[in-house]
Parts: sequence; C-alpha cells; structure tokens
Amino acid sequence: MSDFDALCANDGELAQLRTSIRDFLAADRAEFGWQPAVDSWLAKWDPDFSARLAAAGFVGLTIPADYGGLGLGYLHRYVVTEELLAHGAPVAAHWIADRQVAPALLSYGTEEQRGRLLPQIAAGRLYSAIGMSEHGAGSDLAAVQTRATRTDGGWLLRGSKVWTSGAHVAHQIVVLARTSPLDPEHRHAGFSQFIVLTSAPGLTIEPVVLMNGEHHFNEVLFEDVFISDEDVLGQIGDGWHQVTAELGFERSGPERILSTATLIFSAIRALGDVDDGVAADVGDLVARMISLRQLSISVARTLADGGDAATRAALVKDLGTRFEQDSVELVADLLDYVQDAEPLRALLADARVHSPLFTLRGGTNEVLRGVVAKGMGVQ
Amino acid sequence: MNELAQLVDELCDRSTGDELWRNLEDTGLARLTSGQGAGPAEAAIVLSGLARHAAAAPIAETDLLAVWLADKAGVSIPDTGPLTVAMADTAEIDGRLRGTVHDVPWPLSTVVLAVRTADALHVAAVEDAQAVDGHNLAGEPRGSVAFDMAVGDMHAVDPGVADELIRRGAWARCNQIVGALDAACDLTVGHTGERVQFGRPLSKFQAVQHSLAAMAGEIERARAAAALAVAAAADYGFAHPATDYAVTAAKVAVGRAVNPVTTIAHQLHGAIGVTAEHRLWRTTMRARSWVDEFGTTTQYARRLGRMALAAGDPWDVVVSYPAAR
Repeated sequence: MSDFDALCANDGELAQLRTSIRDFLAADRAEFGWQPAVDSWLAKWDPDFSARLAAAGFVGLTIPADYGGLGLGYLHRYVVTEELLAHGAPVAAHWIADRQVAPALLSYGTEEQRGRLLPQIAAGRLYSAIGMSEHGAGSDLAAVQTRATRTDGGWLLRGSKVWTSGAHVAHQIVVLARTSPLDPEHRHAGFSQFIVLTSAPGLTIEPVVLMNGEHHFNEVLFEDVFISDEDVLGQIGDGWHQVTAELGFERSGPERILSTATLIFSAIRALGDVDDGVAADVGDLVARMISLRQLSISVARTLADGGDAATRAALVKDLGTRFEQDSVELVADLLDYVQDAEPLRALLADARVHSPLFTLRGGTNEVLRGVVAKGMGVQ
Repeated sequence: MNELAQLVDELCDRSTGDELWRNLEDTGLARLTSGQGAGPAEAAIVLSGLARHAAAAPIAETDLLAVWLADKAGVSIPDTGPLTVAMADTAEIDGRLRGTVHDVPWPLSTVVLAVRTADALHVAAVEDAQAVDGHNLAGEPRGSVAFDMAVGDMHAVDPGVADELIRRGAWARCNQIVGALDAACDLTVGHTGERVQFGRPLSKFQAVQHSLAAMAGEIERARAAAALAVAAAADYGFAHPATDYAVTAAKVAVGRAVNPVTTIAHQLHGAIGVTAEHRLWRTTMRARSWVDEFGTTTQYARRLGRMALAAGDPWDVVVSYPAAR
C-alpha cells in the first residue's frame, strides 16, 4: 500500500468505494434529476434519495452488520461522506441520524435501543434531530436549563430547545437535559440524554425561518413530555461526557470543508480560457481545499486508530469553515470571467445565505480557537 | 525516525557553522539520500529539523540537488564539503553558454552549474565560481554566479531533468519552511507565556490566544500539505506526476502560511523580535526568503489552477493527482 494513496484516502478498498459511490450518484442523478446544492447536508431533505442511497449500501457504513449496517471503518464513511458533499447530493434527511445518533447508540445505547433504531438508520428511513442549544445556552452549552425530573417508569421533560435542524420533519430528537440541579463548582455534571419522539404529547415545534424563507431550524417546546426509561440514552448524569466525547469526528469531518464545494467546482468548470491571474486564483482555492482535506484525513486516521486529536480536530473546523466562508466571495469574483454565469447565481445566492452559519454551527469558531489555545498549553 | 530527529536536535544544540557541517558529514546526514541510501522521508526530517534550529547548513543544496544532479549528468564532484546548484536558462551562442545566475544559495561552495537550452540541460561542476557575495534576509549566503563555458566542456542531459531539479528544490523548501514556522510558533508560545503586561502573561488574553490558534492552524495545514509531498516523493520518486502534483499543492499551501504565521509571530513578540539579538527573525526571515525560491507561491498556484481547469472534474484534483490511474 502506498502512503500517498492512503493520505489521499484513495487506496485499495477506499478507491473502489469511491468509484462505486460516484457511479451511484451519477446514475441516481440522471434518473431522478436532483440538482447539486450548496450546504446540502443542512438544506436538501429528500427521503426518497436517502432510502435509495441506503438501499445501494451507502448509509450506516460504520454500523455493524448485526444491526443492518455494513460494518465498515470510519475512513470508508469518510470517503462516502466527502463524495456525497462534493457532488451536492440531497442528504439532509438521514444525515444527523447516520452521522451522530448511530455512533452515540453504538457507544452508549442499550441493546434494545440498538436493535430498534440502528436498522432503521441504516435503511435511511429514520430521521433524527439533535436538541442541544437553548435561548440562553449557545456557545455556553453548560447553561442548558431544560430539565428532566423523575416520574413513574420514566422522566418528565420540561423546557425548550432552539436551532433544532430538521425537527419539524424528523421522527425523533436526541435531547440534552439537566437531571440534577446546577452545581456551580461542577457545571458539566448532572446532564443526561434522552431520545424523544417528535409525536410525543406535550412536544410542540415552531419554525425559525431563515432570512430567505428557508425552514430548517426550529424551536422545540417540551411541556412535561413523558420519556420512558427505555429512551434514556446512556447513563443518567453522563450527558456532558457523551455529547463531547465524539466531537472530534464531527468537528474534523468533510462537512467542515465541503459545504460550498458544489459552487466552487461548478465555477471552475464554467471558466473557459482564463489568464494567469485567474488560474492562480483557482490554484489558491484548490490548494486550500487540498491542504484542509489532508489535515482532515490525518485527523480522521488518528481518531480511527483511537488516538487523541481534539486540538487538531478543532483546528480543522476553524480553518475549514472559514475556508467555506471565504470561498463564496472568491467564487463570486471568479464569476466575472464566466461566459454565462446566470446558472451559477442561484448557487451563489444560496451560499451567501448559508455562509454565516458555517462558522457558527456545532460550536462557534471563537470557542474552537479557545480549545486550540488550550491544546497549545496557554490557557 | 524519532532517532533521526533527535540526532539533528543534538547536533544543532552542540554545534554551529563549520563545526555543525563537520558533524553533519561525520554522522552521514550531509549526504543522507545520495550517500547513505536514505529516502525522502528521512531527508524531510533532517531538513525540517535543521530549519527548526535555524541551522545554517546547505544540506538540501548539497544532498538533494547538487549530488543528485552531478550523478545524473556524470559530472564529478568533491566527496566532501558543501555543494550547491545554480540554474539558468539561456541559448547557445558560438558553442558557448554565458550568463549570470542570481540568488544562488551558498554560492561560495562548489557550484554544480545547470544551464537549460531548448534541447538539453548542460551540467558542469565549477570549483572557483565567479560568485558575488551576498545574503538573504536571514543571513544565509546568497549570491550571483557568472558563467561562460564551452558547451563541449559540459555534460548534456534531458531538459526534463531541470523540472525535477526545481521540484526537488521546492520540495526541500516546503519542509524547511514548516520547520522554521514550527520554531517561530514555539518561540511565540514561549514569549507570550512569559511576557507580563497589565499584570498577567500575554497568553492569558483571549485576543492573543486567538492569534496563537490562528498561527497553529496555518502551520498544521502547511504540515499536512508538506506531508503529502513527502509521501509522494517517498513512494514514487521526484520524477512522478503524483510528486509533481503534491509538491505544487504544498508549495502553495506552505507558501500561503508564511505571511500569516510570520506576521502573528512578530506581532505577539513586540519589537524585540526584529532586533539583532533575538532569535525570532532567524526563523521568520528564513521562511520569508525560502518561500520565493524554486518558484514563487503564485507560480505554483497558477500551475495548480491550470491542473484543476484542465480536469474533467476539479474534485479529482482535490482528491489526488490528475493522471490516468
């Protein structure tokens, strides 16, 4: 095996997998006519696509075969993920369930929960939201006030969540709530996670509409929503550890680099004969992508081998999301040299609307830089 | 590999200048790939390690460039001592090649002259080069070498050898720059942890922490790109399209990191960092000088841009090198 190919995530099985997902995407797009989109992992919700993708064997890659998955490694998932994003495929419906909920179930779920939920996730038919942020708890997640109190056979959930992507179309929400009162000395103690059906009595969902009218975010209200003991995820009191333990994967993945890839590649393809200055601008964009991807893959390999890459994972998210943001205006400049830029204007407009979110979601870049500084030993 | 890095550290801690050079020769590090059968992975460790110490020793010029080129062309060179390469493009006039090469690194060593004409690369070793003495911003020797030679006195090789020579130089500079930036970062973390203003160390200020994080980010990204170039050279050699691709990308990524890292390092050091007595500028100015050698960042950006523009799908050029696999 060549080190070079391994660093490119393009060796052996990974190269074969890359070819098959590309073939699937080309054939599926030709048949069903979806348009490559920017930020498709948030914005493009297409249950039929998710089901077709799963049927073709590209969902639940890291879920063991016993639970309906493919039992493959983290790098296999990395390759499929980046190909989906690079081609702007409509992946939002199954995205959070596959990316975040399945690993959490595998790490902390009960056997019953795994048997019940993982096969549906692997089939691309279970859609989940994540309920973390609240009005008073954004970057400071430990300020979460949603509370679960003990009742017969389960818990009563009371409070609210906000920025809950896809909650209005999801089957369930994985909610972080306080299960014991705040201890100012140990702010991260006393949290637990619950799997809450969006159809549960007492749960209401209100849209939080984006400036252009798109509806992805929601406010979710819980008024004494009953949660049975079977739907506690992991250990009561371990919620903070559970939500932070696997942040490295989420922070360093391809979705922190490639949210605007469709726009970038469409623009490069649309450029005809260009002068040296424009070629250099394209080269700078591509070099940033290559180097970020290399850093992201090296973090993925470290994590897949069980190593600690918390600082570098935070770096990937800071650098990657700033690249995503910068890329939008760099492409806007490139469009000056495109003969017929009109078809690209819609992608550019979408990217401009979504761009402020890149450096906010999943932890603001200001918080991430604090994590990096801590890793450098200066905090 | 760790032992190699430790050996470099140890030699740099106990010696400088001519003594360091002798130690590098005694340990075999001076001609690691040309004399010791080591490969690019080892060379990268030595080059970045020396750069971390701001060591003044032309290992890249000697080992990766001059000895390699002399071997390739069948030109005999001294078995010991520092060597360098001077490259020029010119046309043959009356059977002679004439010109002047500027910014030759370490021009007072034995110079392996490489003159590219339309149909060949002409190579010769010049012992008493007509060098004009000078130095780069970090005080490393740089100078101009004038030449006037009969074509018949030089050894001709395929002109493509010149491309590999430049690629080797660019590859070496990428690894050296990463080492220099690492050193600049270490110095900056150290300084901000010690320097007290407003009653606390600078590193306790959030604005300073964010600058440090930005610096670390640029360096890690540069390192990742350089690592790909090292892997390509180690797997396929310097002549291969994979290495051409990876060096091109690395030269851009590493090149674009130099300005932000250098700027932040000096900003967080305050004015002390630009004084003659301080160590910082010996790393930052090396990076600043090296970045323009063997092709500027923009030249490589243009080249990478052309690769992406020529590809059917630019994504292919992000994933790996654009060639029939």
